[in-house]
Formats: sequence, C-alpha cells, structure tokens
Amino acid sequence: MILGHPVRLAVAVAAFLMLALIPAGFDVGLKFDAALSVVWAFGILSIVLLTGYVGQVSLCQATFAGVGAYAAGMMFNTFHAGYVVGIVVGVVAAFALGVLVGLPALRLRGITLAIVTLAIALVFDKYVFQDHIFDWFSGGSGGWRVDGANLLGLPADSSSHLLAGYEVLLALFVLVALLMVNLHQSGAGRRFRAIRDSELAASTMGVNLTRYKLLAFGLSAGIAGLGGSFYPLIAGSVSPQPFWVFTSLQLSAIAVLMGVRYVPAAALGGFFMAFVPDILTRYGHGTFMGHSYDISYDWFSLALGALLIVQLILLPDGVWGDLHGHVAKAMAAVRVHTQRRVRVA
Amino acid sequence: MTMLRVRDIYVRFGGVVALDRVSIDLNRGEILGLIGPNGAGKTTLFNCISGVVQPDAGRIFFDGRSLRRVPPHERARRGIARTFQNLQLWKSMTLLENLAVPMDALGRRSTIADALGNPLSRFAERATMERARAILHVLDLDAHANSLAGDLPAGIQRRVEIARALAMRPKLILLDEPAAGLDAGETKRLADLLNAVRERFHVSMLLVDHDMSLVMRVCDYMYVLDFGKILAQGRPAEIRSDRKVIAAYLGEPNPELPAAPDGAVQPVITSADRKDGTPALPTGAPLLGVKGLAAGYGALEVIRDVNLVVRPAEIVACIGANGAGKTTTLRAISGIVKPRAGRVFFGGRDITGRTPERIAGMGLAHIPEGRGLFPRMSVEDTLLLASDNTGQRVDPSVAYEVFPRLKQRRWQAVGTLSGGEQQMVALARALLARPRLVMVDEMSQGLAPTIVRQLFEMLSVLRSKGIAVLLVEQFVESALEVADRAYIFEHGTAGHEAPAAELRADRKLISGSYLGSAVDEPAAIPSEANGNGHRVDVELMEVLSLKVPPSVKRAIEERATREGRSAGAIALELLEGVKH
Ligand SMILES: Nc1ncnc2c1ncn2[C@@H]1O[C@H](COP(=O)(O)OP(=O)(O)OP(=O)(O)O)[C@@H](O)[C@H]1O
Ligand SMILES: [Mg+2]
Repeated sequence: MILGHPVRLAVAVAAFLMLALIPAGFDVGLKFDAALSVVWAFGILSIVLLTGYVGQVSLCQATFAGVGAYAAGMMFNTFHAGYVVGIVVGVVAAFALGVLVGLPALRLRGITLAIVTLAIALVFDKYVFQDHIFDWFSGGSGGWRVDGANLLGLPADSSSHLLAGYEVLLALFVLVALLMVNLHQSGAGRRFRAIRDSELAASTMGVNLTRYKLLAFGLSAGIAGLGGSFYPLIAGSVSPQPFWVFTSLQLSAIAVLMGVRYVPAAALGGFFMAFVPDILTRYGHGTFMGHSYDISYDWFSLALGALLIVQLILLPDGVWGDLHGHVAKAMAAVRVHTQRRVRVA
Repeated sequence: MTMLRVRDIYVRFGGVVALDRVSIDLNRGEILGLIGPNGAGKTTLFNCISGVVQPDAGRIFFDGRSLRRVPPHERARRGIARTFQNLQLWKSMTLLENLAVPMDALGRRSTIADALGNPLSRFAERATMERARAILHVLDLDAHANSLAGDLPAGIQRRVEIARALAMRPKLILLDEPAAGLDAGETKRLADLLNAVRERFHVSMLLVDHDMSLVMRVCDYMYVLDFGKILAQGRPAEIRSDRKVIAAYLGEPNPELPAAPDGAVQPVITSADRKDGTPALPTGAPLLGVKGLAAGYGALEVIRDVNLVVRPAEIVACIGANGAGKTTTLRAISGIVKPRAGRVFFGGRDITGRTPERIAGMGLAHIPEGRGLFPRMSVEDTLLLASDNTGQRVDPSVAYEVFPRLKQRRWQAVGTLSGGEQQMVALARALLARPRLVMVDEMSQGLAPTIVRQLFEMLSVLRSKGIAVLLVEQFVESALEVADRAYIFEHGTAGHEAPAAELRADRKLISGSYLGSAVDEPAAIPSEANGNGHRVDVELMEVLSLKVPPSVKRAIEERATREGRSAGAIALELLEGVKH
C-alpha cells in the first residue's frame, strides 16, 4: 500500500469524507472558517515537520504561507495563469525561501535561530508584503483579487463555489498528512529525528546535516506555502494581515498546545486557529446578569496563552500527544466489545 | 599497512592547548590504546579524527587519503565510526532505529521514495532491520530492540553505542571509555567482545579508557597523552612499567592497596585499621533508613522491597550487576524518582516523597550518574551553587585543593570540560554543600587511576569527619577496600548484607563473575546460523546492503514471504549457491 497501512488509509478517507460534507450546512462565514482551518492546518503541519521531527525552530511559518499566497495571486493576476499553476509556483517559491532561511540554521540553534526567523517574518511583513517596491509581488496596497478561478476546470470561485476550494485543499491535506506519517517511519524520517536528538551523533554516523536541515526547512516551507497558496482562492483576495508576524507566533503556540510531534495535532490546531476567534467575535458579547461583556477577538491570544500554560503543566506532550493513548485504548475496548456482540449474534 | 596517520595535530581552545603536535599511527586490524590523565586531550583527538573539531594545524590521513575539509558524515562513510564518552544515543528512538540510521546513511535512499513507501524502499527497510537485529543479537541486546534508547540504564546505553558504531560497518572504530560504569565481569566480557569483533569483522580500533584491566587486555600498542603531548608509546607491558607513565597517570604500581595511606598525607582510617581496636562497625541510630522501598519508571517496576540503613560516619557500598536497581534506589532515596511504596527516613525524619531540593537541603547529597550539571555555567559558579543548600556561602578554594585541575579551568563552561573534569565538578559541588550523607553513583567513572585512588582515600577522610557515604561503584574491589559494609543487589532488591571485610575475602564476588551471573554467558559471536536464521557475517551484510540489484532483492523478498523464512537466511543461501 503506497500510502501506508490500510487501516490508517481507511481512517484518513473516512475523516476526509466526514469533514468534506459537514460544512455544506454552514453559513458563509463558517464555510470560510472551515476552509481557513485547512490553510492553518498546513501551517501547523509544517511546524510538526520542522520542529516535531527535526527539532529546528522557526517563527516565520506564516511568512512561508504568505509567500505561497502572494505568488499564487501574482501568477493569476499578472500572468493570467490557471490557478493550479499559481499553486505550483507558490509551493516552489516557499520551498526556495525555506531553503534560504535554513542556511542560518546550519550554524544557529535554539533562541538565536528563533530570533533570526522572527526577523525574517518582520522583514517580509513590513517590506515584501507592504512596501511599494514589491508591488509586482504583493499587488500593491489593495493586494490581489482572485475572481472566477477554477482548479483544472473545477469551478472554485470563492463567492459561488467556496466549498470546492475547501474540498480540494482538504484532500491535499489528508494526502500530505499521510505522507508525513510515512516519512516519520522511513529512513529519511529517522535521519530527521536523529538530528533532533543529537546532531553530534547524527553527523558522525553519516547523516549529512547540511543537506537534511536544508531539506527540512524547504519541505516545511513548501507545506506551509501549499496551504497559503489556496488562501487567495478561498478568500477572494489576499492582503498582508493574515500572514503577519503574530500569525507565525500563534501557529507555533498552537502547534505546541496540540502536540508538536504529531500529525493529527495539525488538524486540531487548524480548527482551533480558524474557528475559535470567529466564534468569540460572534457569540462573545452580550449581557450576563445585567452586565454587558465583550470577549471578542482580542481575548483569543489571552485564552491561547492561558491554555498553553495549563497544557504545559497537565499535558506536556500536547493535547493530541497525551490524549491519543487514551483514545487508542478506548477504541480497542470498543473493538473488543463489538466483536463480542458479533460473535453472539 | 598504516590505516590512520595523524601528523602534528595542534588544537587550542582559548588559552588551553588541548593537543600539542600529536602524531599517531594505526595499522589495519590493530587495537590501539590511548590513555592519559583527565583533560589530556584524548576526546579532543577523537573529535579531530571524526571531524567535529577542526585542528588548528596538522594533518590526518585515512586509508592514504587526507581528511582535510572532509565533513564528519563523509568520514563516517569512508569507514570511521565512534562512540561517545557522554552518551549520545538518539534517546527518543528505539534501538533498532538507532542502528538503522548509520546503516542507511551508507546507501542512497530517496526521501521522496521513503515518504511514498515504494516497494524498493520497503525491501531496503526490511533488510536494514534484519541487519540491525543481527547486530543487537551479537551484543546481547535483543531484549531491548524496541525500547527507547533513553529509557535504558547507562551501562546498557554504552553497549548500544558500540552496536551503533558497528552498524556502520566501519573500518575503524573510535571507542571513548566504553568500560565506564562496567564492573569487573562486564569489562572482561567487553574485552572478549572487542577481540571477537576485530577478528570477525577486521575492524581496527582506537580505544580510550581509564580501566587498565580492559586496555591492557586488548591493546596491541599504546600511546600515552599528557597535557596534549605524547608522553610515551609502546606495547602494554612496556607502558605498564614506564616510570613517566606511572608518575603521570597510573600511580604507584600496587593496585592491591588503593586506599593505603602513603606516608605524609592526611590520616586515613581504612576499615582494615578499625578491625584492631575500635569496634568493627559503627553502631547507634541510623542516619538513613530505607524500609520496603519500591520504585520504577512507567509500567516498569525496577526496585521492590529494598531495605537498608546507613549510620553516621559509615561507608556503605551497593554492589550488583548492571540493571540490578542500584541507581534507581539512590534516585528514590533522594527524591528524583517518586517511591511507589515504602518509607525513607533521614536524620530521624520521614522524607518519603519530598522534593529533591528539600532532601538535599537537609544534608543528603546525591551525585547522580549523569552528573546533573548545567553545561553553560562556569566551574566556579557551579561550585558556588552549593551554597544554596546550606544557606551559607561556600569557599570553592577547598574544592580546588582536592582537584587542582579545576582551578585552572574555573571560568570555563562546564559543558566544554573533559568527561573526567566534569565528574570532578560534580563531586566537588556535592562535598562543598557539607552534607551529612553523600550518595555517589559511579564515583570513579571517567577518572584517571591516580585520581580514583585519591578519591577513595578522600572517602576515608570524610568518614573520619563524621560524614556517611553510600556508594555505587564499578571498581567493587576498591569500594570494598574502603567500605564498612555492603549490600548486594540482585533483581531489583538488596538481597544480602555483609561486612565489607567478609566480602573482600570472596574472590568470586570481586571478579564480578557471580554477581553478573544473570547475564554471564560470554559475548557470543555466532559463527554459524543460530535459531532465528540470523547470521552475522560479512557476506550476509554485503548481500543485505543496498548494492544488490533491485530484481534480486525482489526475488529474495518474494521467496522469504513464500517460504516464511527470514530474508537474511535466503540471501545467504543464494550467496552460497553463487559461490559453488
Ligand atoms: N570546547 C572547548 N572549549 C574549551 N576547552 C575545551 C573544549 N573542549 C575541551 N577543552 C579542554 O581541553 C582539554 C582536553 O579535553 P579532552 O576532553 O580531550 O580530555 P580527555 O583526555 O578526553 O579527558 P577525560 O579523560 O577526562 O575524558 C580539557 O582541559 C578541556 O577542558
Ligand atoms: Mg574524554
């Protein structure tokens, strides 16, 4: 089985079908949130690869997503290319930038590397996405608009076919997630994890640090860029705000919260990142016992910080990391139970 | 033929000249010993050969080719493997995975193909795992194949380091203190293993160790380093009697009496002295009392029903094979591991379940096997930290008197010290805190023989000052020499207690042969196929390596599944068919 264990594949297909169908009943706002959650799930998946597997720090993952988004928007608007071409260019551009950002990582690690990547995020946020010198890339102050796009003939315009973009992106996410799980168990995955656990031992046991670190940064950025390249499609336009520095920080925080070593944590994190702020703005104000209150978007970061502290104490391996063991046990129990019922019948 | 030629290597770190124009030669198939005091530059030389430190001057040739500007991973592929003094296993990976990394670093494998899990990748994967199992089998590590490396006791991790180096099919292995923490019996088995590996795999070795029983037994030729310079070289017998080497490193050539006072030094009271005159064993209220103690990690219960007492001014040794539960007992006493059952009393108070900081604050110092140091902190700051436990400021100069070497290194970050220097810092820090009881796990690990001898003498001095010591020690003989009593650990419990004098007479015990009985089969290198169809053989490794054409691999794989046998066995059969 190319994509790994048949059971895992079946679970992935089932999850895809379920998640693909549910948003059909949503209003437009929630449909957009659903699509956005996959974009951010890619962002967190990129952190699972880079930090969870290879042990490298990066605080500019949203920047890679932004490069994917702007490159796709530029291809669509300036070169009138099909949107699929835009996606490919977005991924390649993000991959290339990832390799470049990986260069300092050959020398630096830990906090110094974090600061360097943070600086890169700032530079892209303030200049590349916003300065007029880069208007050819960012589309100027209005950004790029993407109307009437299709994906290889499948209409996927955000106003009429928002869910088409969502479903394609979701399918891609499931695919990439499966590949990531495979990678973890494979030879290359072992080399990545060896770098995480001891670079010294890895290099003296034949692992080419330069090659694998750059590869990790490139792949990770490419994954973030793939998610980002769908953003203009589902939002109808692209602006700097979603990809600013703070998003990178939030992605990292949520990755840690959900379990930075686990692929499914990316899906959980994507949901969290897209839905929670929106739900807070929608329902987070009103009156309670005569007092009016308003816990809208600003409270999201506060809640995230508080959750992070609770998680670090109670669930040090992240929400998914610490809970999936219990889930697996419960599933095994259910399986035994149903088997018994079948035998009786 | 010379396989490794090191010429005039010069390395300096700031003001310290770690290697001063060192040259050595190593011939194919030879086991070369490298000994010398702590901080002499042995590990630094290893670092230069494996490429993790760039020498400031000098050249290194391997198989006739220069290693200048060759990165570490490329040296590994040319056949240089190594083990690490400060264990560097990949802790969150299983032993099989630890062995697989160097194995597939040798072949070309594509990341994309791996992610896709294509059939060729999967066959290569199976071959890799087969070989990894075979190597684990040779080193008697089968039982741990799927354990995470970081979960295993240090003694076993050391063996895994060797297994991992072998997995690379190296031409040369650099072994940095492989016998640290091994008792006499285990060291003997390690020596047999190294000899067998050399014979069967034609591997050359460069061996650094402070345990002379190992070095003298296996080395063909030796170099002695001192202050970064070659002090002497020659055959083991010559080195043993070389006056310069004795003065700088080995110490007085009478290993029978390591704790004997040599004239002018401080008054030393060994337990032997006590026998005439004062009562043989201290009596009175115990300082430390342990009753029915049980502890473990995760689902694993490592010790159960441990009972022991230590009285004031008494030296008590814990002896027993690796994995018998000594380290865990110390950890449970000092609160690093939460006891699951039983009670621990110290100075008349129940300290069960208290935090390690509070227990240390009461005067119970624990020097763990891993040393527990902060790598970025300087030596002096680390020593000053000891004051936190007593509430009063300590005077590091007391420690510098015992370990003059540390004084020269006082502003150096602890993480960059040599292994032995780090051990000195850990010991010094514990002693500065003025404890009432010191628990030392593998005190002599990584230390040169002269210093080990000094330290055993120091234990007697401590005792004369009323400080009690609970000791876990690889050199059982020396430990019993200085101890008053000993507990013998077996299968996670302190089974037997006896006065040290009585145990000293028991030669079998001291040679480690009956202590280690549980794991006592000699390291077997299977020359013929064993039950599992594993056969560790150079040819088998060749077949299973990735140079075999894919079509052949597929054929092997198909037959293996059809006949329900291991791919290795079938590969071997095919190979023999080809040869005849
Ligand atoms: N990165 C470094 N920075 C500064 N000094 C260093 C560094 N690495 C090693 N040293 C110093 O170089 C000297 C040689 O160290 P090395 O580790 O080679 O000793 P060694 O012979 O292996 O000793 P041991 O038997 O204690 O392991 C030591 O004094 C050590 O403090
Ligand atoms: Mg050393």
